[in-house]
Amino acid sequence: MPKSRTVIVFWQLAILAFVLVVWQWGFEWSKALLPKAYVPKILDPYFVAKPSLIWRSFLRLGCLDAGGFAACIKGNDNNLWFATFVTLKNTWWGFLFGSVSGIAAGLMLGRSDFLARVFGPYIVALNSIPRIALVPLVILIFGLGDLSKIATAWLVVFFVVFFNTFEGARAVDRDQIAAARLMGASEFTVLRTVVIPSALAWVFASLLPAVSFALIGVIVGEFIGSERGLGKLIIEAEARANASEMMVAIFVMMFLGILLAIAVRALQSYLLRWQPQFEQPA
Amino acid sequence: MTAAQGSSLARDRSDDVAAAARTRIAVQRLVKRFNAGGRDFVAVDDVSFEVKQGEFVALLGPSGCGKSTILNMVAGLLPRSGGRILIDDDAVETGKVNPRVGYVFQRDTLFPWRSVEQNIGYGLEIAGLPKAERARRVALAVEKAGLTGFAQSFPRMLSGGMRQRVALMRTLILEPEILLMDEPFGALDTHTKLEMHKTLLDIWERERQTVLFVTHDLGEAITLASRIILLSARPGRLKDDFEVAVPRPRDPVALRETAEFGRLYSHIWHSLGEEFRRTRAD
Repeated sequence: MPKSRTVIVFWQLAILAFVLVVWQWGFEWSKALLPKAYVPKILDPYFVAKPSLIWRSFLRLGCLDAGGFAACIKGNDNNLWFATFVTLKNTWWGFLFGSVSGIAAGLMLGRSDFLARVFGPYIVALNSIPRIALVPLVILIFGLGDLSKIATAWLVVFFVVFFNTFEGARAVDRDQIAAARLMGASEFTVLRTVVIPSALAWVFASLLPAVSFALIGVIVGEFIGSERGLGKLIIEAEARANASEMMVAIFVMMFLGILLAIAVRALQSYLLRWQPQFEQPA
Repeated sequence: MTAAQGSSLARDRSDDVAAAARTRIAVQRLVKRFNAGGRDFVAVDDVSFEVKQGEFVALLGPSGCGKSTILNMVAGLLPRSGGRILIDDDAVETGKVNPRVGYVFQRDTLFPWRSVEQNIGYGLEIAGLPKAERARRVALAVEKAGLTGFAQSFPRMLSGGMRQRVALMRTLILEPEILLMDEPFGALDTHTKLEMHKTLLDIWERERQTVLFVTHDLGEAITLASRIILLSARPGRLKDDFEVAVPRPRDPVALRETAEFGRLYSHIWHSLGEEFRRTRAD
């Protein structure tokens, strides 16, 4: 029997409430009720903090507690807002450069057998390197600033988008190209009006994971060497064994990830509105 | 384009048909060999015929007789293995598009990311026609195809018959003097097919383009054509050539009741039947 929307939302909220309650009080309750050996260590606030502590850390890091917003922001050059802004900015540029260059390279190699055969083995080889292994090298080359984070995100995004665009450019219907040519389209017009729109569905299939990958790339870059950003916030909190501050950064990343995915989805459903799965309800 | 072609789609060419029956398409000793699995085989063997100004010629033959191959060579989509093809005394070059020639595919080659009006206007758009003039002509074509109310729809929302109407208008809007049609109604059900015959006859009886129409459907050939060229089973050779002296304007349904239709049908069927039996014997 299909459940109504209300029933589904009810269960979602119930699960959320249950998790929050266990997280907040589970450790104390089990310490009071269970023999010492059976107390679940996983719930120890020393490791996982707890919702009330996380909330307090959020207010403090975000300069929202008593003490004045402006002065607090001034006093901390990696405050939560600034760190979020830096991470988001680097994610955006890495994502943009990565996908634009991935699309360009994918179209070029997808439409030229010669280039595809020449570069094919190199691309497979480069793609086989775990990207994260390159991060220290990237930081060595580009320094501790934003550039190394953008470069890391680029590395992760490029190949994902490239491979999908490449396949998309190869899968273009030959008869559609012939039809365009018979109506007088030049090679460039065919690329612009047939190949690109047709490959777009494939491109978007990669952009959704790509935007998450860009965020991962930036955070890893910040872990390994940086002066600011959410990744730096986590590393600093770890040094002070402050689980609740790490949790704050993790939740902010979660929201960033959700927002970026929503943005890509919105763009996708507009540009691919001709496809049945993105049909706008009338 | 010459001034005589004018801008109106509804011009009457019946006068110049009678006056100057000049040759528009000349196929001379055409040969096509394919290489499949290391073995050569002959698909088209020494085929010659001519299509005169304003003629509607059906190229009829069993499946695999090379009739579509001939059409594709006339369109310059496929290289020849031997012989010559002239369109208005100009030799056809493979890969070079002749703007006087329009081509309608059997397969659906509409651009799914373009709306009906954007599909119909494609050729005018890439020719750089001003937007206002384009919109005027597209609106006219949409109405003529009986697609009023569907101008903004995407192809996937349309039935097979409607899609083929769009494909037909997309070609006709460029006002080709010569129309090459590769079993354009082959994928449609009988009822839709008859409707499409009516649409095509209405247009052709007004505008008298020179048409080369590939089909394996004898009834369709008699309904539409003024001449039927019969090809033998593989390798495709010229087998016979029939005048279809059924008066116009023709009604695709009433036509089937006439004595002339029955006489021609059984006459050509006998000849065609031999070829079908040969195909099966292979």
